[in-house]
This record gives sequence, C-alpha cells and structure tokens, in this order.
Amino acid sequence: MPSNNLTVTPSPHIKSPLSAKKIMYLVILSLLPAGIAGIYIFGLCSLKVMLISIISCVISEAVFLKLRNRDPKAILDGSAILTGLLLAYNMPPEIPFWIPIVGGVVSIVLGKQIFGGLGHNIFNPALVGRVFLQISWPVYMTTWKNPKWAIDAVSSATPLAKEGARGFSYLDLFLGNHGGSIGEVCILALIIGALFLIFTKIISFHIPASFIGTVMVLAWIFGGEGFFRGDFIFHLLTGGLVLGAFFMATDYVTCPLTRKGKIIFGIGCGVLTVLIRLRGSYPEGVSYAILFMNAVVPLIDRYTKTRVYGVSKK
Amino acid sequence: MKKFFHELNKGIFIENPTFRLALGLCPTLAVSTSIVNGFGMGIAATFVLLGSNVIVSSVRDFIPKKIRIPCFIVIIATFVTIVELVMKAYFPALSKSLGIFVPLIVVNCVVLGRAEAFASRHGVVKSIFDGLGMGIGFTLALVLISAIREAFGNGTILGLVIVRSFEPALIFILAPGALLVIGVLIGIVNYMTDRCYTA
Amino acid sequence: MELNQLFMIAISVIFINNFILSKFLGLCPFIGVSKKTAPAFYMGLAVTFVMTASSIITWAVYSFLLKPFHIEYLRTLSFILVIASFVQLIEMFIQKFSPALYRVFGIYLALITTNCAVFGVAVLNSEMFLKSADNAVKALIFCVTQGFCAGVGFTIVLLFMSGIRERLELCDIPRPMKGMAIAFIVASLMSMAFMGFSGFRF
Repeated sequence: MPSNNLTVTPSPHIKSPLSAKKIMYLVILSLLPAGIAGIYIFGLCSLKVMLISIISCVISEAVFLKLRNRDPKAILDGSAILTGLLLAYNMPPEIPFWIPIVGGVVSIVLGKQIFGGLGHNIFNPALVGRVFLQISWPVYMTTWKNPKWAIDAVSSATPLAKEGARGFSYLDLFLGNHGGSIGEVCILALIIGALFLIFTKIISFHIPASFIGTVMVLAWIFGGEGFFRGDFIFHLLTGGLVLGAFFMATDYVTCPLTRKGKIIFGIGCGVLTVLIRLRGSYPEGVSYAILFMNAVVPLIDRYTKTRVYGVSKK
Repeated sequence: MKKFFHELNKGIFIENPTFRLALGLCPTLAVSTSIVNGFGMGIAATFVLLGSNVIVSSVRDFIPKKIRIPCFIVIIATFVTIVELVMKAYFPALSKSLGIFVPLIVVNCVVLGRAEAFASRHGVVKSIFDGLGMGIGFTLALVLISAIREAFGNGTILGLVIVRSFEPALIFILAPGALLVIGVLIGIVNYMTDRCYTA
Repeated sequence: MELNQLFMIAISVIFINNFILSKFLGLCPFIGVSKKTAPAFYMGLAVTFVMTASSIITWAVYSFLLKPFHIEYLRTLSFILVIASFVQLIEMFIQKFSPALYRVFGIYLALITTNCAVFGVAVLNSEMFLKSADNAVKALIFCVTQGFCAGVGFTIVLLFMSGIRERLELCDIPRPMKGMAIAFIVASLMSMAFMGFSGFRF
C-alpha cells in the first residue's frame, strides 16, 4: 500500500533511501553468480529447477493475493522471486519437476502469506519450503548429482553425508566441483555475492560472522577423533553453510533487530548446525538450525531491546 | 424424541468437540496416522463417554458438590480401564499402535467436560444421547483427520493405494503434518461459520 | 554409562520427542496459555514441578503398591487419583502458607490437575522404566529425569510460542486463520524445525 504513508507496519523500518523492493532485487542480483555457477556445474537441469520454483512461488503469491482481495502489484516487490530462487538453490539439480512446484506453494502459502505477507512472516519462507520437502521426500532431496564432467555422472552423496566421500581437495570444494544442491556448491560465487551485499550495507556482518565462526570453532573442537582435531575448513566449505549464513539467516524479517540479538542468533544457528551435522540423522543442519532460531527471534528481540533514549533502566 | 435428536445433532455438528470446542485434541492428533487407528480411538472414547455419562447422570443426586470432580474422574478411569483391558485382549494390534493414548482417554477433556457440563445436570436418557452425539462427533473428526493424513502421507485410504503414481508426502504422517492439518481444518471451519453468519 | 543414559533421556524428551511438538501432550495449555510470555513461563514452571513430583509419586505407587500385589491393571485409576489429589494438596498448601505464591501459581495448578502431559509422563515412565525394572532406585532416577526434562521441554516450547504469538498480534493474518488456527500452523512449523533433531546419537 504505497499510497498511504501513514500505514503502521511492524519492524524492520527502513530508513535508508533503499526501498524494500530495491533491496529484494539487489539480493537477487547478488545471488546470480551462484546460480550461474550451478548451471555451469550441473548443466541446464539446474536452470529448469530454478525457473519452475520461481514461477510456482510467483503464481502462488498472485493467487493468494487475489483470494484476499489485496493489491496484486505486491508480487512485483521481488520477494516471491527471491524466495523461489533461494528454494531452488537448496535443491539437488536433478529433481522431479513437481517437487519445486510443491515447494514453491508451501513456501509462499505456509511460510509467508498465511501470516499476512511480506514483513509479517515468522519463519524464512524458503526454508519452510525446503524443510517441508526434506521431511516429505527425503530420498529425492538427498539424491545428488555429480558435476557434469565427472565420470560417474549418476548420483553420489554430498561430501557431508556420513558415508564419507572424502577425498575432495579444498580447491574442489571451494569451486564447487562436487555433488550438492544447486546454489550451495560454488563457495567462490557465493562469496562474491556476499561481499557485494556487505559492501552495499544491505546485510551486516554480525550474523554471518558469528554463525560461521561458531560452526568453525565447534567443528574444530568436536569434529574429529578426540578434541581439537576437527577439519573445520571442510565444515565451512561443504553443505549450505555459506549460503545459509549470508543469504538466509540474514533475512530482514526473520532475524533479530539489534546487534547483540544478531550475534546471539548467529551463535545459536552455529551451535545447532554443528549439533545436527555431527550427531543428527540428517546430513545437513543449516536449514533446521536457522528455522529453529527463527522461532526464538521474538524472544531474543524482547530481551535485547535497546533502551529508549531518556528512559532509565526499569 | 425430537429433543433427543437435538442432543445427538448438537454433538456431531453444532458443538463438535474437536473443531468447535477444541477439546480432546491431544489424542486426536497423536493417533490419527491411519483411519483404522482414528476409528478405533473414536470408538473407545465414545464408549467411555457413554458409560461415564450414564453413571454420572444416574448418581448425580448422591454426589456432594465439593468432591464431584474426583468422583467423576474415578468413574471415567474405571471405564477407561475396562476399555484398556478389552482392547488388549481382543484387539492387541490396535492396542499396541494406540499405545499410551488409551489410558490417556482418562484426561481427555471431552469426557470430563461432558460429565461436568451435561451429565451432572440432566437425566439419564438425555445424557445417553449427549454422550452418543459427542462420541460420534469426535469419531467423525478423528476419521476425517486420519483420512486426510493417511491419504497424503501414505498414499492410501484404509490401506488401499489410491493413485499408483502419487508419491506420498511423509510429513503428513509425522508430527508437523498433524498440526498442519488441524490448523488448516480449524481455519476452514471458521471460514464456513463466518460465511453462514454473514450470509 | 549410566550418565550417558540419563543424558540421552534428557535430550530425547526435550528435543527429539518433545511432549508438545511430537507427542501432542499438553496442547490445551500450549494453545491456551501461550499468548503472553510471563504467564507462559509460570505455567511452564508449574508443569515442570508437578511433572517431577508426580514422577516420584507414581513411581512409589507402582513399585510398592501395584507391582507387589500384581494389580498393574489399576494403573490408570490409581495414577490419576494420586496425581489429582497431589495437585489439589499442593494448591491448598500454597494457598495456606504463601498467598503471594498462590496468586502467581494458583490458577495454573488448578488448570493442570487433569493435564494430559502430566498424566502422560507418569504413564510413559511406567511403560518405559517401571514395568521391567529390577532395580527400584535406578528406575526412580530415570523417572525423575524424564519427568523433569519433559517439563523443561514443555517450558521451552511454550516460551518460544508465547514470543511468536505476541508478534502475531501485529500481523495481518487472514481472518479465518486468526487465533487457534494460526497457532497450530506455527506449532507445525516449529515441529518441522524440531525434526532436525531426529535420530540424534551420542
């Protein structure tokens, strides 16, 4: 409702000249390198998954807005496209076509619109979709495809899977030369996008730094045989850690408002991620960790509230 | 006769314990993974409801007001124990899959709620119909929820495959699916009531 | 070894088999008392206390009364009776000796007299530890751990929920979904997040 400047909206309030719409498109832009890398590594099937997922999200959003008699222009704010893109980045490239469709509908309807649309959601919509799919069809969601130039191009485990599949060099992992989800494999491309977001001040470094830092420290301490023997670089470069820490945990609506809150949030995500990676039955814990911490955000916000200027404590 | 029919109808539709009063949700969600389980639970609860309603309404004049709740609980617990033992003897498989939720009927708010709100104030015959109505309403809700969950989560209805190529979404037979289904169903019921009142 | 087992029980009832999100016990207070954080916290405390205490009491009833006389089939009846009368007793006791405490906790105690989570933990204890127990003390430790941790898990989820629901007040939720319906949807999403803990091994 841009016509009415007096509308009271829940936080975050944006003070900079950047509008919500502009931010959305800048985030999408920053995600493009990873997408291009995904297409290059796995072939055109990745592009197909991305397109289906985005289209599904946009159509669900349009239908829901129509049902609620809201201004259909709201689909143009880019948030549905961003959700679709992030959802696709979390899927293996060779997935049956109907999975991204279902995922898109679930993300938008259950993750966002049922709470009242952008700015109202409690949980990150793309993660709601991804976790729903992961629980519903675990086999499809974890059947990874090797890079198209690899010899046995059928399917293999992501390096994080407990069965091992070690033997990747750090360079392979950094460039994305291994099986995994579309958008998470090429760390180089993700870092380019992340640096762009940090330098344009769209995201602050607090969440990613505390999230990744916690994961690395804990992986170093507990990740190996005995203490302080873990391969923390391996834990950094595999799975969805970089994608999750920079692009999903930092979602404005579902992360805490204050600096202190952000750091607590990041540490929480990190602890849970390592816990699930090392002890749980799922190979990857980033999405569960962020989703869990999303539920804690209202409490974090309440106890890290900045004091109103001029009001004494208590 | 019409009066009794009203009591029956009330439990099934107007004051459906699950959707309208939101009572007894714990067993509703926990055991509704398949229609067989849901139906078994519904029947067990109906039996307890009927039994406790009959006894409570027939002794309602002898129970001192102050200790009525403990008395009701004892009556209900007795019937639950009967159900538990009968089920264990004749339907061991069902008893196993319902697990601790059979003894948990004792704290099912529907049963105690009806004893307190209805049976302790009305005659025996009326209470029978009330218990029957509430029981049927509860069973229907359970069967509905478990049919949805079984169809989506297992791809079957009463154990029969519906569409060969359908790939069931596991989430529906797990905990999140149960909460999701009940949330959406309550939303739908609210929506329909809204329309009934405004139209 | 023993410590390991206790730890496993704790993790299991707090996260993997959380009473609210995976066993659906105690949904009524979960939906009813989760609108504000302070009451949710007090409710959680009360439930934790009652769960722990009733674990001890039902352990005593089971291993010194039901088992020696082979009347295990009276479990349901006896458990509900002792739990209900115990809660009533506590309520009267607090009312008498600490009216201030009663003002805070009284109403919650009344609410949990017939709470399925409290009764559930007692039944679960008897299924898991008491039926096949050869060592009564060991069984007691297990029961108390499970009772206490189930209460902790209950409190955690109730607190999260109350934070979220305070925020939901400001949200533009579709009208039919307001209130209970959206609470269940949020619970479902939280339960999805808790699924991440499934299959923990230590």
